[in-house]
Amino acid sequence: MRKNATMSAGDRAKRPPRLSRTPTPKVHPVVIYPFQQPDEYSNLQALYRLVRRLSTDKDRYARPITVLDRKTHYALQGQKAYRDFRRNTLTRCSDVLDVWAVDTCQMWYCGLGAAFERGREHDVYWLIPGDFNYGTKTGQHVLSRLHDLPEIILELDQDLCIGEIATDHNDSKQLIDTYGTFALLYNWFPVEAQEIRGYTERPRSEFLAIRHGFLEEALRHRWYPYEQTVVMLLEAVFDKRGISRFSVGNISDLPEGRESLASAMQQVERTERVLKAVWREHHQTNPDWIEQYRRLAATSNQIRHTALTILQNLLG
Amino acid sequence: MRAFAYHKPLRAINFICHAPQAKAVTLVGDFNQWDPASLPMKQMPDRSWLLTVELKHGHHRYAFLVDGVLTLDPHAQGVTRNDKGERVCLVPVS
Repeated sequence: MRKNATMSAGDRAKRPPRLSRTPTPKVHPVVIYPFQQPDEYSNLQALYRLVRRLSTDKDRYARPITVLDRKTHYALQGQKAYRDFRRNTLTRCSDVLDVWAVDTCQMWYCGLGAAFERGREHDVYWLIPGDFNYGTKTGQHVLSRLHDLPEIILELDQDLCIGEIATDHNDSKQLIDTYGTFALLYNWFPVEAQEIRGYTERPRSEFLAIRHGFLEEALRHRWYPYEQTVVMLLEAVFDKRGISRFSVGNISDLPEGRESLASAMQQVERTERVLKAVWREHHQTNPDWIEQYRRLAATSNQIRHTALTILQNLLG
Repeated sequence: MRAFAYHKPLRAINFICHAPQAKAVTLVGDFNQWDPASLPMKQMPDRSWLLTVELKHGHHRYAFLVDGVLTLDPHAQGVTRNDKGERVCLVPVS
């Protein structure tokens, strides 16, 4: 009950300033639709059951965004199953962002950028790759754990939380990271690489959550449209940001998305290119940077050749 | 009308540290303000160390102090840093 209907000017002056209420931070889910559409929809249906639940929890979650490559759309638009899934599921529980992208990482960039423009300070952005076997029992377990990533950011005041999936040592992603990504990282950024490996064995993970302020920096930073998790981890280490790693379970990629030798080679080459670009950005003001760059590039060349030989022996 | 605050119940979490040669192991974390003495672990017949702690819903940072040395749990579900910048573990409680 209000005690006073009216107040004198003096009373108003004595009244303590009204505290402005900080809005509760929201989590923005961004789903990356599989580039290569599987024939059946059980995995996507399982994923979108989660997305539907998120879309109804409006206090905690912003409306989810689904990023869909136009090439995928045009390849599938003749199929009734796709048209039905898009109309009845995708658009009902998420905003579909149709993009032309050269790579999955560019789809992330579009999706995270679009979500960022809707967000505000303290919000968290949650990237969910669509091409995993969420329909299996293991996949269901992973789906039940994914929400931990944005929650860790919010509860523990972190900037970046990487979701890690357990894989077999002979899994192609693991092989690429062991012989390619980390070997190259140790060459170009030896100190930072050790720090990153202290957190995760999967520096190219597609499961992640990122805080608004750090995403803003990452979006404004000149990015290559691939291997962005590696870049984010490096930038987080450079800036002494709060990094966490959380295991989301044991899961395997869908067969459609598994790496061939050619794809594995491309990923190693892309990682090298992006590391070179980041290194130059951080060192090009030093007077003798070009000599140092040439030395590192020569070693990097050897590392890439060795990685490709190993991958050829194991995957070829 | 009285509003009832809803408190999620505490959940018992088992912490196990495999350090058979250790003389003393304690559990430290956000939940005991990283106090090195308040949560001593008990050595089991298999020489691993066990302690059950009731924790509230959320994500908690923790580590083991094995003979005074901060030690990570190799089976932890996550890794992060504590307020001192030391690498520590994460446990989710749902």
